[in-house]
Amino acid sequence: MDTQCVVVGIGNPYLQDDRAGVVVIERLEQDNLDCRTEVVYTVGFEVMDKIRGCERAIIVDACMLGNEPGSILEVGVDDIFSTHALINSHAITLGTTLKTGYLCFPEEMPADIRILLIEVKEIKEFTQQMSPEVEAAVDIVVERIKGLIAGKVAAG
Amino acid sequence: MRKIEISPITRLEGHGKIAIFLDDAGNVDDAFFQTVEFRGFEKFLQGMPMEEVPRTVSTVCGVCRGVHFTASMKASDGVFGVTPPPAGRKLRELFFNAHYVEDHSVILYALGLPDFVVGPESNPAERNVVGLINAVGKEVGRDVLRRRGLAVKIFELLGGKPNHPVAAVPGGWSKQLCEDERKQIEEWSKELVGLGELTLKVFDDVVLKNDKYMELVTGDMYRVEVGYMGSVDEQERITYYDGTQKIIDSDGNLVGTFKGKEYLDFISERVQPWTYLKFPYQKKIGPWKGIVEGPGTNIYAVGPLARMNIVKGMDTPLAQLHFEKFHATFGAKPVHNVLAYHWARAIELLNAAEKCLQLSRDPEITSKDIWNKPTSCPGEGVGVIEAPRGTLIHHYCTDGKGIVTDANLIVATTHNNAPINLAVKKAAKHFIKNGDVSPAMLNYVEMAFRPYDLCLACATHTVTGGQSPLLVEIFDANGTLYKTLKNF
Repeated sequence: MDTQCVVVGIGNPYLQDDRAGVVVIERLEQDNLDCRTEVVYTVGFEVMDKIRGCERAIIVDACMLGNEPGSILEVGVDDIFSTHALINSHAITLGTTLKTGYLCFPEEMPADIRILLIEVKEIKEFTQQMSPEVEAAVDIVVERIKGLIAGKVAAG
Repeated sequence: MRKIEISPITRLEGHGKIAIFLDDAGNVDDAFFQTVEFRGFEKFLQGMPMEEVPRTVSTVCGVCRGVHFTASMKASDGVFGVTPPPAGRKLRELFFNAHYVEDHSVILYALGLPDFVVGPESNPAERNVVGLINAVGKEVGRDVLRRRGLAVKIFELLGGKPNHPVAAVPGGWSKQLCEDERKQIEEWSKELVGLGELTLKVFDDVVLKNDKYMELVTGDMYRVEVGYMGSVDEQERITYYDGTQKIIDSDGNLVGTFKGKEYLDFISERVQPWTYLKFPYQKKIGPWKGIVEGPGTNIYAVGPLARMNIVKGMDTPLAQLHFEKFHATFGAKPVHNVLAYHWARAIELLNAAEKCLQLSRDPEITSKDIWNKPTSCPGEGVGVIEAPRGTLIHHYCTDGKGIVTDANLIVATTHNNAPINLAVKKAAKHFIKNGDVSPAMLNYVEMAFRPYDLCLACATHTVTGGQSPLLVEIFDANGTLYKTLKNF
């Protein structure tokens, strides 16, 4: 088992608020953090590939669940596997991807996994401009992840 | 008249809606497959340097990333008037075939096969890839996922970047393959061939040996008589990266062949007011005749089944054996049975894996001569490829500096729009009787579109989320809602 912590940002960099997960990773990469970072544009099995072998994983994705734009949710794997409302543009959902990973590769999947979702406001036009609400949420999520990583380092 | 809506439909890439209208007796009067959102990717590309387009369009869809990349890369060759050297072309083909293996395996195991392995009338919460793994066993699941991961490794090694490739250059490929990498890809490709053989065995065991399923596969409820289009090589064998487009009508007669920009002579697109997705049709057969099947229709389909129908054979030995078994099973050609798409997809998975192995053993694949540098900019290029889902056309016009002034993308799901509507309507008429709209019956309707491997993210260039995945509203003859079904 790789003892690394990995942070995975999911989103389309050209699609308004859907790019939130990508921007979080870009911000994190500006600091020299004790973690590996990855960006994926889909929630297919690639997400599973990126976190296999890591002891700890933090995943950031956009969501549209009817909450206030910019709301931040922290959920578990079972929450997003059973909640069909978390389906996104690809029907192989993040929950299905992760559930599949824990089913087939239990010894390789992270023992500690955190999933942070940012509620979007607009995702229908191609632009690199996010809404102010999601911009603000990205700042909060970046700081939260830095804290999570720092906590891990301190604990280790 | 009662109206049933399935919105968004489940287990496809992207979102859409199926609306089913019942008559007073509770039987299906009509059915439509709709997409309702639009985001205008072609407009987004205007003003972009053509050499940047492949890297950008790979984000159209997180799943189809390699296909848009490849089609636009081929179009960029035309824009700059340059042809890749043989090694550059072979690297592109190796990359593309690895993507095929990855894509087809995900579509089969995660989206298509759960209906058969878990069962079409099983609990919707279990009728997914997790349920499939529970049914076939974790070891099989692990093996499939591990081998699929090797296809991704080839894709990333050649493409130069995880997930979304960057190695395209007009006139070739930017990343040379060294001997160590070639050997590695050869070893991985052997495992991909094993994945293809395993997949066909699973299909054989689960579907072909099951009489009930074969009734569905060969039955009229999933049979749509349309024409077909796909690429063929010089010997009229299957090809994905490059070839000549061949079109046949619903009786199997040759309509014509074309390359590149000539698609404009064969394909027209019809706009309907109730969907953003256009309806392409074969204009050589005549003017728009509506969404109708049977002799004389100018509706056509693309994708794995279409390719099985337009080619004379496969270009690899193992896949050829399965191609022969496929046509021996159905007899008459063309095969119009929609569920046969799944079988065709499994055969193509094996074919693409064999192609990876062949190309990895080609001595020329490690040549340094992988790029012909452009020296001019004629300004227009068309890239036509066979994406896993079917024919993909990228057409670009640029100014004298290669800046995109106009872009047109015709994706597989758009080609298949009319056949999907026909398939959904036919299945709905067969399975929904006397107002029986149980979830099981509705899944049989959904099984009519799943074989097409829809990608609405590409088709309407849409991303959405957060809606209920399967919501069925039933209205009585007065239009009053009296029952709601949902699977969440």
